[in-house]
Amino acid sequence: MIRAHPVTKRFGNVTVLDELSFSAEQGERVAVLGMNGAGKTTLMRCLLGLTEFDGQLEIAGRNVQTEGRDARANIGYVPQRAPYFEGSLFELVEFFSRLRGIETEQAESRLTQLGLSLASHGMKETRELSGGMLQKVLLALALGADVPLLLLDEPTANLDARARRDFIRALGQVSTDTTVLLATHRLTDVEAVADRLLVLHGGRIAFDGRMDELWQSVGADVTLWIRVPPRQRESACNLLQRQWQTSTVLANGAALGIQVERSARAKVLMALHSEAIPVEDFWTEVPSLNDLMERLLGSEAVLDGAETVGGE
Amino acid sequence: MGQRTTLFLRRELAGSLHARWFLVYSAVFLVGGLLLATFGISNTVVYGYRGFAKAFAGLVHLALMFVPLMALFPAAAAVAEERENGVLEYILAQPVTFSEVYIGKWAGLSMAVLLSLSVGFGVAGAVAVLRGVPAGLILTLYTFVLLLASSFVAVGLCFSTLAKSRARAVTLGIVVWFIFLALGTLGVIVAFVRWGVPEQVLLVWSFVNPIEAFRIGVVSSLDPDLSLLGPIGTSILERLGSRGTVGLALLTLVLWTLLPGVVGLALFKKVR
Repeated sequence: MIRAHPVTKRFGNVTVLDELSFSAEQGERVAVLGMNGAGKTTLMRCLLGLTEFDGQLEIAGRNVQTEGRDARANIGYVPQRAPYFEGSLFELVEFFSRLRGIETEQAESRLTQLGLSLASHGMKETRELSGGMLQKVLLALALGADVPLLLLDEPTANLDARARRDFIRALGQVSTDTTVLLATHRLTDVEAVADRLLVLHGGRIAFDGRMDELWQSVGADVTLWIRVPPRQRESACNLLQRQWQTSTVLANGAALGIQVERSARAKVLMALHSEAIPVEDFWTEVPSLNDLMERLLGSEAVLDGAETVGGE
Repeated sequence: MGQRTTLFLRRELAGSLHARWFLVYSAVFLVGGLLLATFGISNTVVYGYRGFAKAFAGLVHLALMFVPLMALFPAAAAVAEERENGVLEYILAQPVTFSEVYIGKWAGLSMAVLLSLSVGFGVAGAVAVLRGVPAGLILTLYTFVLLLASSFVAVGLCFSTLAKSRARAVTLGIVVWFIFLALGTLGVIVAFVRWGVPEQVLLVWSFVNPIEAFRIGVVSSLDPDLSLLGPIGTSILERLGSRGTVGLALLTLVLWTLLPGVVGLALFKKVR
């Protein structure tokens, strides 16, 4: 679906994309990560043919520089912040539906699936709609066109927690045949949407693989918190120290915490069970995306706006 | 015109018809034109020909002062504002060509400005005709007004493409309008009398400056001797003749519409 042969983009003396090569197949869900200035938005703009670059980019076999319109006919785009449109929601939906050559009803039906009714909101001025609603409208317009590629440029960056959850849930309605390229700063978005990560650093690809491969490559442990009855805390503590050869068992009130590999969490719980230590509750604290990026790229790599505390 | 270009034309036109500037401009031109047509010609009974000439000259000056600004303001905002608020990027991310977007905007905006002028000018012109001003004169003025507006729409849109913000585009437009206006009749006379600038240079300048070309074209329809323009008028008439003068004035305004339009389109494609 996407073929990027060495793509280079310079602004004056600054190289933002440095011979970037990658491809994404039909149905792949790719999250694009990187610190501020890593080139995520520039990559999106290149894919949309909105900026000139050296190299070649193809969307569904169409060269974005020489066949821009045909290439964009395969793309549904949701920007970081829904722009300010004049006119009513109905006019907005009608205009962009016509522009894409689809019936307004197709976009309307997608809107309904996303929980927005054109019958009740259609006459509202777009400026009266919340950011979350507008982002959903843009997603509905992208989905209504039934395109094979969705480009999402940090679509949840300016949404509150509820709107963000709704938007991510709405992305669940995207056909499995659709390729999704999501630029984001949020680990929760990545985990909910993507099955592949593309980490950009200094205009190059610093990591390309699955989420679990990223965890493995950076050796990032998670903290497993366990709550056991107070009378069995000591024996649980000893067991954890003995079996996982760690002298550090964290304590957080009534809970004990141990840093283990993500895949070893079940083993810890089973070990406690086999020693007849009842587990009243447990939860996992994961490193933030910032932490992962720091480990992957070095301490200078700090993601602007990234989550500082992760959890699941 | 392609389907998508027409969509942008209709969008721009509909947006303009709902915009405040459209109503304000129509009203100002209507009121100004009506006042000039009514009170200017009320002297007709006393002064005869000089009465409607005064009213006509008033309409010409109203157009000179007002029409370029009226066209510049919305045009200078058209691209820059949508670029600032992110709409343009979203539009260009759709399956459209840059030319479809630009030409659609250009055509829609031109139509909106011309429509706004036609509302004000149409009523004022009709009143003037009813009160004795020759219809041919009003029609000539109307034609030149539309061309002047078209040229400044093209100039404004070109600046809008070039400037980083709406404010800069509008400022640039006003500066250029002021230069053209200041270096019109007054500038030509000063240059001719005080600095002895060669006559040929002044003649070329008179037809390079769209505001001056408008003035020459319109005045020649009222005053075939171009005596209102002084020695420059006589010189123009000697070299070009009456028809040649009007023709060159029309050509100047057409070129001022096409050239900035084409340059603006090229910039729009380049400065993406």
